[in-house]
This record gives sequence, C-alpha cells and structure tokens, in this order.
Amino acid sequence: MEPLLLSKREKRRLAGQYADLCLTCGTCAGGCPVTGVAGLDVRKVVRLALLGMDQEVIDSKWPWVCTLCGRCEHACPMNIDLLALIRSARGMRDREKVPGVLHKGVAMCLKTGNNVGIPKEDFLFLLEDMGAELAEELPGFEVPVDKKGAKYLFTINSKEPFGEPEDMMFWWRILYAAKESWTTTSENWEGVNWGLFTGDDASMKEVVGRIVKNYKELGCEYLVLPE
Amino acid sequence: MKFVSVHDLLKMYIEESRIKLDKSIHEELTTYHDPCNYGRKGERAFGHGYYEEPRWVTQQCCENFVDMYPNRANNFCCGAGGGAWASPYVEERIFYGRTKAKQIKDTGAKLLIAPCHNCRDQIMKSLRKEYDMMDVEVKYLWELVADSLVIEPQEEAEE
Repeated sequence: MEPLLLSKREKRRLAGQYADLCLTCGTCAGGCPVTGVAGLDVRKVVRLALLGMDQEVIDSKWPWVCTLCGRCEHACPMNIDLLALIRSARGMRDREKVPGVLHKGVAMCLKTGNNVGIPKEDFLFLLEDMGAELAEELPGFEVPVDKKGAKYLFTINSKEPFGEPEDMMFWWRILYAAKESWTTTSENWEGVNWGLFTGDDASMKEVVGRIVKNYKELGCEYLVLPE
Repeated sequence: MKFVSVHDLLKMYIEESRIKLDKSIHEELTTYHDPCNYGRKGERAFGHGYYEEPRWVTQQCCENFVDMYPNRANNFCCGAGGGAWASPYVEERIFYGRTKAKQIKDTGAKLLIAPCHNCRDQIMKSLRKEYDMMDVEVKYLWELVADSLVIEPQEEAEE
C-alpha cells in the first residue's frame, strides 16, 4: 500500500471543520447503539475525514446505519459537528447509490409534490370522503383545502393518505374541538422532506420553498408541520 | 414567516380550555419517547428542545406517568431515525432498537406516547414484535389527545 502523504492530500470535502479537535476519547462511540455494526465507530469517520479519505466514508455503509440521532454529538466533550460530517457523506453519494427508496422519494416529491406520487384528484377525493365520514360524528366537519386567510397551514405526512388515512382524523378531531381556523393545500402538501436524510440540500430547499409559497399565497399566519 | 410546533399548539388548546380532556380514558401506566428531532437536535439547531411540553400534554391525558431512563437530551433513538425506517438495512435497524425496547420494558408502562411518525412506526410496528412487548400500546401524542377529547358537537347554525 502506498503511503498516504498528508501534505499532498486534496482539500477535504466532507464537513467536519472541527474534527481535528477530536480527543479520540470514544464517548461518541460508547453511547451509540450501532457502534460495531458493519464496523462502525464514529471515531473512524472522524479520522478518515481528517486524513482526507472521503471516498472510504462515502462508499461505506456507516452514514446509513447511523440514524443521525445526535447522541454522539451531544456527548462529545469537544462539541465536534459529527452530524454535519456524517450527513455530508450521505450527500456525496451518487444519487443512484442512495440506499432504498429515499432518493426515489425525493425525486417523486420534486415531480409530483409528494413522496409517494399521489395524484391531486385522488388526494382531494380522499380528503372529501374521509371528511364526510367524520362529519357523521362531528356535524359540519369538512377538511379545509386552500382556504385563504386560514390561521394555520398544516402539511401532511404522505404515508397517511397513502396507507393510513384514518390517522389524519386525530388532528381533525382536535382542530374541530378547538374551533380552529386551519387549512391544508391541494398541491405540495408533503411535510416529509427526505432531502434532509439524503444530504440533498438543493432538493430540500426546493420542497421547503413550495410550502412557503403556499403559505404566502394563502396568507396564513402560522405553518404547522406535524411530522 | 411564523411556525408553531405541535407541542405548543396542543399545550395552548389545553391551557386556554379550547379542548376538554378526560383522564379516565387512559388509566394505564404511560411513558413518553423523546424523538431526537424534537429534543436533542431541536435544542442544538434552534436553542430549544421540546422535552417538557409533550410530557405536560401527555400528563393532561394520563394520570399515571413514568419516564424512561435515560431521557430528554440523553434519550436513545428509536433506531429508525435519519431515514432508516425507509432504508433497506432492516436487520441493523432492529438491532439498533434493542436499547429503546429495553428502556421501554424497564418502565413497566403499557402505553407509550411518541410525537413523531417515524419513532411511532418503529416502536409500534417493529420493536413490539421483535422484542416481545406486544402488550405495550403505542400512540402519537395527538392521537392520545384526540382519543381523550370530550367533544361537544357544534351546531351547524353557528357557521
């Protein structure tokens, strides 16, 4: 194996500008439930980043078996930005190599306005149908969609209209009981931003921007993301 | 642009008596799971971790409450955060959840409240089965509130 010349390493691209403060104490790894899984040890990530061995981290399973829970970062006595470091490694993977459905969800959201591609007409039909069902119990209830001037704009987690639609009723019941002024939207209502998980800041920003656009156009006062 | 957290919103409804809750519906011993994003990560990113608000809301619905240990900023992740619920590394996710499962079992609680979709799914649909704790019921925080509501039907004439 060729020696790794630190003086000649490329400028490192992984985030972790404070990683050289690492004391190698192991507090991070000691408190992490996946230490040892696939050989993961947070200190190894820090060390590889310091050595400029970005690609080893990017190609490894580590950034993905880590749940970005932040316990290591919270415990770190030197306050090293471990999450930014690991998340940046996720972001540097080829999008085609992002494990599972996460990037497909991001692409779907950019294309259709939600992670699972529910068409607008199906979504509106579902809200109307579920709303009518709840109205049998709560007279006068209906789901407000694109209601201008509503006080609260609610986004929706797409897994609910997709697979667990009756779970949407929990919030509906509360909002009805509180006589609240609220609305959701017919487009770009997705509240789950998977760009956060795939390290994809550009997509994340685009998805957030669409929600902000809804919020401004409808003149709502507050945004609520119940995710 | 203004945001409101689900915790603050629920707390406000209860404090301002805009909703009425019945504590007798959930009498079993209840515990609360701190999601990383509302707690530890929120604290770091925004200067405030939502630890006390959801506990307070939970205790407006449940008389018998017990905390896991460790909790708040030191709480363990459910094991499915950061997109792991949607990732193909299923074995790793379940293995990760063993610490969470133990924390829950150690409390003896029969109802667990989670204010995060992801944590709720991991605990309810995966950890209960994998770690033999099907006797623990799992609810969203807003599900607990909705199920505790005393709703007076509104007259349509009000509109």
